[in-house]
Amino acid sequence: MQSALAAPSIHATVVLDRREPGPGIVILGLEAPELVALVKPGHFLMAIPPAGVAAATALGIYEADGSRISVMLIIVGSRTAELARLQPGDQLDVLAPLGNGFFLDDLPKRVAIVAGGVGLASVLLAAKTCVERGARAELLYGARTKAALVDVELFEGVGASVRCATDDGSRGYRGFVTDLLEQGKPPELIIACGPTPMLRATAGKAEHLGVAAQLSLEETFGCGVGACWGCVVPIDRASPRAPSFPAADIHERREHANARVCKEGPVFWAHELRW
Amino acid sequence: MQKAAVATSPLAVRIGRLELAYPTLGASGCYGSGEEYAPFIDLSLIGGVVLKSVTRYPRLGNPTPRLVHTPGGMLNAIGLQNPGIEHYLEHDVAKFATRPCAVIGSVAGFSVDDYAYVGERLAARSEIDALEVNISCPNVADEGETFACDPALTARVTAAVRAVTDKTIIVKLSPNVTDIAAIAREAEAAGADALAVINTVRGMSIDVERCRPMLGNVTGGLSGPAIRPIAVLAVYEVARAVKIPIVGQGGIETARDALEFFLAGASAVCIGTANFTDPRAPLHVADGLRAYLEKHGHGSLREIVGKANVGFADAQQYEGDSG
Repeated sequence: MQSALAAPSIHATVVLDRREPGPGIVILGLEAPELVALVKPGHFLMAIPPAGVAAATALGIYEADGSRISVMLIIVGSRTAELARLQPGDQLDVLAPLGNGFFLDDLPKRVAIVAGGVGLASVLLAAKTCVERGARAELLYGARTKAALVDVELFEGVGASVRCATDDGSRGYRGFVTDLLEQGKPPELIIACGPTPMLRATAGKAEHLGVAAQLSLEETFGCGVGACWGCVVPIDRASPRAPSFPAADIHERREHANARVCKEGPVFWAHELRW
Repeated sequence: MQKAAVATSPLAVRIGRLELAYPTLGASGCYGSGEEYAPFIDLSLIGGVVLKSVTRYPRLGNPTPRLVHTPGGMLNAIGLQNPGIEHYLEHDVAKFATRPCAVIGSVAGFSVDDYAYVGERLAARSEIDALEVNISCPNVADEGETFACDPALTARVTAAVRAVTDKTIIVKLSPNVTDIAAIAREAEAAGADALAVINTVRGMSIDVERCRPMLGNVTGGLSGPAIRPIAVLAVYEVARAVKIPIVGQGGIETARDALEFFLAGASAVCIGTANFTDPRAPLHVADGLRAYLEKHGHGSLREIVGKANVGFADAQQYEGDSG
């Protein structure tokens, strides 16, 4: 069930194109011919900061086609701001591909894809794969307001249908995007990537509906390659993704183990999380 | 390792009985077991990897968030998550045999007995070339850092590990003390072969919107360039207090940064947080060191160790650039 691990390496890419589909949102197209063939839906990369200050930034791989991949930035701090200043022709070195992607081998007929914020970038390839494999994929896309909902047409372009939710009702349903899971015919599989509160709500709805859900988690990364153990999430000790540690000592006798989001994840089944 | 090649390289250094082809090591806790970085750099081009610390019993580690990026570095509070020495010996250590660089085990504990027990078992393995004795983890609730903050406990732990192995032992000191030189002298007297200077600097960051500490553990250890001057001073002070080699660390990103440590008195350096910016950092450091030695006409790195470790009076006599 687990996606095969592609050997990651350092790829020297060149910025091909740059666009700003919404306020504070930047899409960078990168020339990365060797990388395209390695990328699976849900993979991420670590972008090495061009000026060499501050840590590398984890970014979901948004598109992968021909010799081009793309990434989405939402400017939240100095590291994303630096990357957002890149222009066509600039170089960007990345560690990629990283992480395990979504588990898309045995797809049911109806797949709901829940996304919020920069999480959108991690699910476009998944939507494309779902459609290619004969599933009906529906993107449930949430944001605070209409202006922050971007690139809906890219999802429609790969054959997914789209329903939106905004906090202020400026587009689509007014309320939480996860409410949409309970409106209409329930999906048979849920895929989600976005802010942790959205993922927690998705897990709750999935349990209520009795539907399996794959969540691509967001967590602060140190290394992004499994070395520092900074980005862990508690998961069921019985999960194949749990580190093979023995039960912890008497001070810590719990039935979970801390798995690295960057290495064992970032995609986990909702039912294996103990968060 | 290829000892003959080591002896002739200008960057080769010796730490106790440990010969290193390069003076650059992956820092404990930042470098996993080395294999995590093998896809990105050729590990035969670094001196070695200092493994993540292992304790007597398994540890779940701290709750999340465990990391927060701060200006010039990051705070971490991992909490020594590790499988415990038994599982580690059975499942992990054999893999280290294939590393093309030195493999330095790291021992942490909560009692003198813990250090001796884990140290003996780990050092007994042929895959392990030397031991780092981590008496300075700031992120464990019980006694992690207590050892490094108490000269008598530092001496007892060092002596206990010294008693169970002939391999090189490197005692890792904390900067969170009043007089690091006094601690260093105790470790040296108790049989340490070398000292790792420094571990992270205690710190805290607060989420002002949520009115809560950023880290699950409330406090953490600061690393990255923000702590480099603190680390350079610590190396300087320790170098004046002891004769054993120093493995300098704390915010090294470039060869220039590493040179500060060598000139202050370090014989080797660890690179930690800089790997999170670019895994090639240790290679860039080694290249830059080689260029510096050539430019300044030095035959080997050993010639510059402690070259800037001058007292106040000497510093006044030194003629630097004018104007």
